This record gives sequence, structure tokens and C-alpha cells, in this order.
Amino acid sequence: MPHDTPAAPAPHWETSVYPLIITAGLLVFLPLAFVFKFVYHQPFVAVLCLGVGAPVMIYGIAGWVREAIGGEHGEGLAFPAMGWFILAEAMIFVSFFASYWFMRLNAGTWPPVGSVPMPVVLPLVMTAALVLSSITIHLGEAQLERGDQAGFRRWLMLTVMLGLGFLSMSIYEWSHLFHLGFNFETNAYSTIFYTITGFHGSHVLVGLGIFVAILIPALRGRINHHFVRTGALYWHFVDLIWFFVVSQVYFW
Amino acid sequence: MSSWKEWIFTTDHKRVGILYLIGSMAAFGVAGLMAILMRIELSSIGPTITADPSNYNVWLYFHGAAMILGFQIPALTGFFANYVIPLMIGAKDVAFPRLNALSVWLFYAGIVLALLTFVIPDPPDVMWTAYPPYSTITRGNTAFYTFTVLTLGFASILGGVNFLTTVAYMRAPGVTWNKLNIFVWCTLAAFVLQLIFVPVLGTAVTLITFDKYLGTHFFDPLQGGDVLIYQNLFWFYSHPAVYVIFLPFIGVVYEIVATFSKNPVFNYKMVVYGGVFGIVAISGVVWVHHLYVSGMADWIRIGQMVTTLMISIPVGLMVIGLVGTLYKGAIDFRAPMLWALGVVFLFLIGGLTGIPLAIPSLTLHLSDTYYVVGHFHYVMAVAGTFAIFGGVYYFFPKMTGRMYHEGTARWGFWLTFIGVNIVFWTMMSIGVDGMPRRYYDYAHFPQFLRAHQLMTLGASLIGVGFALAVINWIHGAWKGEKAPDNPWGSRSLEWTTTTPPPPGNWAEVPKVAEDWNPYAYGQRR
Repeated sequence: MPHDTPAAPAPHWETSVYPLIITAGLLVFLPLAFVFKFVYHQPFVAVLCLGVGAPVMIYGIAGWVREAIGGEHGEGLAFPAMGWFILAEAMIFVSFFASYWFMRLNAGTWPPVGSVPMPVVLPLVMTAALVLSSITIHLGEAQLERGDQAGFRRWLMLTVMLGLGFLSMSIYEWSHLFHLGFNFETNAYSTIFYTITGFHGSHVLVGLGIFVAILIPALRGRINHHFVRTGALYWHFVDLIWFFVVSQVYFW
Repeated sequence: MSSWKEWIFTTDHKRVGILYLIGSMAAFGVAGLMAILMRIELSSIGPTITADPSNYNVWLYFHGAAMILGFQIPALTGFFANYVIPLMIGAKDVAFPRLNALSVWLFYAGIVLALLTFVIPDPPDVMWTAYPPYSTITRGNTAFYTFTVLTLGFASILGGVNFLTTVAYMRAPGVTWNKLNIFVWCTLAAFVLQLIFVPVLGTAVTLITFDKYLGTHFFDPLQGGDVLIYQNLFWFYSHPAVYVIFLPFIGVVYEIVATFSKNPVFNYKMVVYGGVFGIVAISGVVWVHHLYVSGMADWIRIGQMVTTLMISIPVGLMVIGLVGTLYKGAIDFRAPMLWALGVVFLFLIGGLTGIPLAIPSLTLHLSDTYYVVGHFHYVMAVAGTFAIFGGVYYFFPKMTGRMYHEGTARWGFWLTFIGVNIVFWTMMSIGVDGMPRRYYDYAHFPQFLRAHQLMTLGASLIGVGFALAVINWIHGAWKGEKAPDNPWGSRSLEWTTTTPPPPGNWAEVPKVAEDWNPYAYGQRR
């Protein structure tokens, strides 16, 4: 390689502190807290782990977003990358559904003893909320394409609210079923019901986290279009999965 | 920034790669030590170095879990992919450098969780398979295993997302799909497999922890659960995991073999579109051959026998490609080439001894014997490790800018090669005679005493051989002779930059000639 190009800036090693911070936070926040609570039965230490790990992780994510939103790395490539990530996510749901079908189709009677009748109206309302939120984020994207940042922010906030509404209904429903004596430990159906709905709910939460990470800089006028498209793609995926969840564990 | 900060906060693919190498070699060292401990324990009938069989279980657990999840997969899809792929495709870095750094630190978090095995009370003792019901009722801390898998799995998925995007969008002009190095193709395929199958493993081990600690009933038949769910989910990942290891390691071997025989890769398109694509296509429908003795309908077993035998076709195409590349080549038997040829030999033994295991009627007898252990060590464990060691030797001058000591490298190879054949050939042989696997003691099978002692001897040769290699690298990295930019005379793009490569790899985007390809060694003689 020729070394005689004159004005080239001296190459330097790129760095970022946030990957290490996020990892440290995550390690304390999830594995250690879980192990102290459920394996060693030390709830105080577990709470301590949560209290230390969560802020560290959130600080790391915030710093990462700040760095990434103005950076030149990965420009435009986040969207196809999210496609691959969604493939992996979809496989998690495939495994859950496969487990569910395996149990259900091998069972003598279904639902097993101890199950309660599932509500009908609430899941339909939840479905409506999610479908609407997919539409609102799409409209928000369309506003952004046209350069209307204020319109984009409005639609984005509406999407976040619909997502929060979905989660609140989910929590309400869980507590309702808990009071009827239908909990994690009741039987195989309750096991799979809470696992699948809980796991889907956690995806809604992550999707909302992405939107909040877009919304906060957007309020100050900093919008990265690629982030928006990528976040919206993830949200559509979460929405799509819900159709499988609702049709399989509620209405079948 | 001071230099150690430039390392731990680095987002550069080369440094991330070297961090992967250090971490995975640490896992290899500890997991190898576990193997030596097991071999010493088995060198006599009755207690040898521990009177508590639980200790043996912990060694067995750590050896398997750390060798596969902490050493082979991270070394191949972490170290090699990171260090080599951007250089091979002429990119400045990967598509998401920060995500790459997150992957490597998540990998280290997994290693930390795995190493905690040795300090926590009631360490995990569930082997790397963690079958319920044992894993849900043992005193051992199964949650640590679950979190180790989840952390390493998450790192793998992020790596997969990153590299698939990198190769699709960041190739230098002129580096077309049909001019990609075989290693790049193989590793891409491995990442596709990781993206599809790792989440399933993650789910399986998570359900175990749910069952054990949160009181759910996935694997509890009394409440409508079924342990077969776990076995199916687990092997649905863990069989393709064999190809996640196989593909990159055979890719490394292709690079070495082509360079050291100065021959174009034989039948490139057959290797890629037949071999690599074929493996990806079939890999997801053969897992049930791990469950032949778990109880299932005959038609499933027969069907899976057919698919299992079928997958030897693409695998065979890849081996033929290697042998064809050697044919009439100007073969140079330097250390990387020795390890690579070792892989071809070991993989052939491993592959051929796998055919009986595809057949249910034979597996009913061979299942859970040392035959199975010998077979998969040949085909995956040892062949993969030889490829990793050969690959590190091959890229060593590029990474460190210095040369290793050739004589020590050859000694290390021969000791290891003789050692593994003593151990695993003996293992298959007594397996056919009925020695069951996973046993802490074999008082009921005293006829195998001599064989076990022979294997312990072989294991010590392996230990010395690998130690020589690692000492050679450490010494070479500081004290070796200066290496030129392209010591092997390779045509591949990674050798065109300076040694070691600067940040950003090239001062400007590398240009390749119209008729360039990574294996352009002229006409076949």
C-alpha cells in the first residue's frame, strides 16, 4: 500500500465504551438477579442487583443511541439487519408454538383440569389496539417521508400510547386470571399460556423501548430515518405474531 | 486514550476478533483441563482422584458446554469471522462495529457465568444436554447453564445479523458473490443456521429454568407436559450446531489447502451451491437421529435415517472439493497445511463412522456407548479444533506481524495427531464392545482397564501438543521474526494489506482486477 498520500488523517482505532457498559449491566440485571432470587432465595441481593444493573444498562443504551443517531456507521443497513434479527425472533415463537402443539395434540383431554374459560372481548380489544398501532406508525413514517416532523411525532406518540394500552390490558387480564386460580403452576395449558403471552408482551415492551429511544431525540428534532424504518419493521413483526398468539392460545 | 482502553472499548473488527480468540482459548484451556481430569479419574477402577461422582459430573458438564459453546463456536464464528471476513471482502470494518463489540462482551459474560461453575455452591451437573427430568430435579444450579447459553446465544445472533449484513452490502467493488472465498460462504451459511436454530436452544433451556424455578409444567407428564419436547427442541438446535462448527472449519481448511497447494479450489460452484447450500437446506430435518432410542414411531425413524444419510452427500461434495484442490498441487507441508491435512484425515474417519449411527437398528446398540463419543470427537471436536489451530497458524503472521517457530509447530501437530488417534480410536473400539459413556467408574467392565489407561496416555500427548502450540503463539507474538505482508504467496484479498493491518484495513478501498479471484493460481497443471 502506498504511504505517500499526503493529507490523509492518521488512522486511529475506533472505540465505544457503551457495549461493555451494557454487557456489565445486563449481567448483573438478569442472570445474577434471577439466580439470587430463585436459586439462592436472597431477595434482598436480587433487588440490589436489579437496582444496580438496570440503571447501568439504561445508561449504556442511552449513550449508545446518542452515539449512533449522529454517527455514520451502519447507515441504511439497520433495516436489512433487522430482517435477519426478526428471523431469529420468529424462531423463538416457532419453538413455543411447536411445544404447545406437541403438548396439545398428545394430550388425552384439552384443556386439562384446572383451566378456566378464556375471556373473549378483551383479546379482541387488544388485537384492535395492536393493529391500530401498526397503522399509526405507518402513517407516522409517511409524514416523515413528506418532511412533516411534527406530524411524525404525533403519530409516534399515539403509537406508544396504543402499545401501553395493550400492555395494561394484558396486565389486567393476567391478574384477572390469577384471581380465578389460573397461574403459572396450574397445568400445562396455563404454563404455555403465560409463557407465550408473556413472551409476546416482552416483545411489545422492547418495541416500545425502541420507540421511546426514537421519540426522545425526536422531541429535540434529531431524527434518524433509518432508525424509524427499522423500529417500525420490528413493531409490524410484533403485531403479526400477535395474530398467531391470539388465535392459538385464546380462541382455539 | 491509553492503549489498554483502546483494547477493551474497541469496535475494530480485528481487535474484537483477537478478544474472541483470547476468550475462546481460555475456555479451551479450562475445558481441556476437565478432559484431562476425567481421563485421570478413569485410569483406574474405583476412585482415582475424587471419591465424589458429582465432581465427575461437573467436569463432564463443563468440558462439553465450554468446548462447544465457549470454544469452537466463538473461535470459528467469532474469531475467524471477525478477523478475516472484512479483510477477505475488502471492507473497512463490519456493518455494525458497536454491535460487534457488544457481541464479544456478551461472549465474555457467558464465559464468566460458565467459570462461576467452579466457585458457586451446587454447580451445574447436567452435561451440556441438560435433559429433563434430571436437570429439573438436580441439586445442581441449572439456572447458570441456562444463562450461559442465553448470553452466548444472544452474542451469536447479534454476530449473525452483523455478518450477513456486512457481506451482503460491504464487499469491495469487483468482489462478486462468485468470487467470495469459500470461508466467507461457509461462515455466512453457519450464521444463517445460527439465526434459525440458536433461538430454539435458547427457548429449550429457558423452559428448563422455568420448570425448575418458576413451577411451570413443560416437562412434567403428570400435568400434561412431556420431556420429549425438550429433547426435540434441544436437538433441533444442537444437530445444526454441528454444521455451525463444521462449515467454518472446513472453510478455514479450504483457504489453507488452496494456498499451500497453489491450486484453484476444485469445482468452486459445486462446493458452494451443492455443498454449503445443500447442508443448510437439509440440516434442519435430521435432528431426530439423536432421539432414536427415546421412543417414537418407526416411520419417523426411517424418514430421519434417509435424511441423515442424505446429508452426507453435500458434506461429501465438500471433502471431494478439498481432495480435488490437492490433486497435482505444489503442496507445501508447512505447519498450517499439516493441521489442515490432519482435519481431512480425521474428518474422513469421523464421517465414515457416523454412517452406522444414522441407521436406527445399529444405533439401538451403539447409543450411549463410547462409540458415539469417539465418533463425534473425530468428526466435530477434534477435526474442528485442528482446523482452528491450523487457521490460527495460517493467519498468525497477518495478525501479529511476526512468525511462529516452524519446528515447534510441527512437533505440536504430530504429538496431538498421534494422541487424538490413540484416544478416540480406542474409544470407538471399546464402545462397540459395550463400554457405556458418562460413567464415573467401570467396576462392572474390568476388561476395559487397559484401554482406559491407553486413552489416558493419549490424552496427555494431546495436552502437551496443544500446549506447545499455545506457547509457540505467545512466544512468536512477542519474539518471532518479522513477517512479510504475504508470507504464503496467497492471492486472497486479506494478504494485500500491510502486516498487521492498520485501523480501517486499507488506506483506500482495495481495487481488484477484472480476472482476479481469491484462488487465481493459474491453470491446473
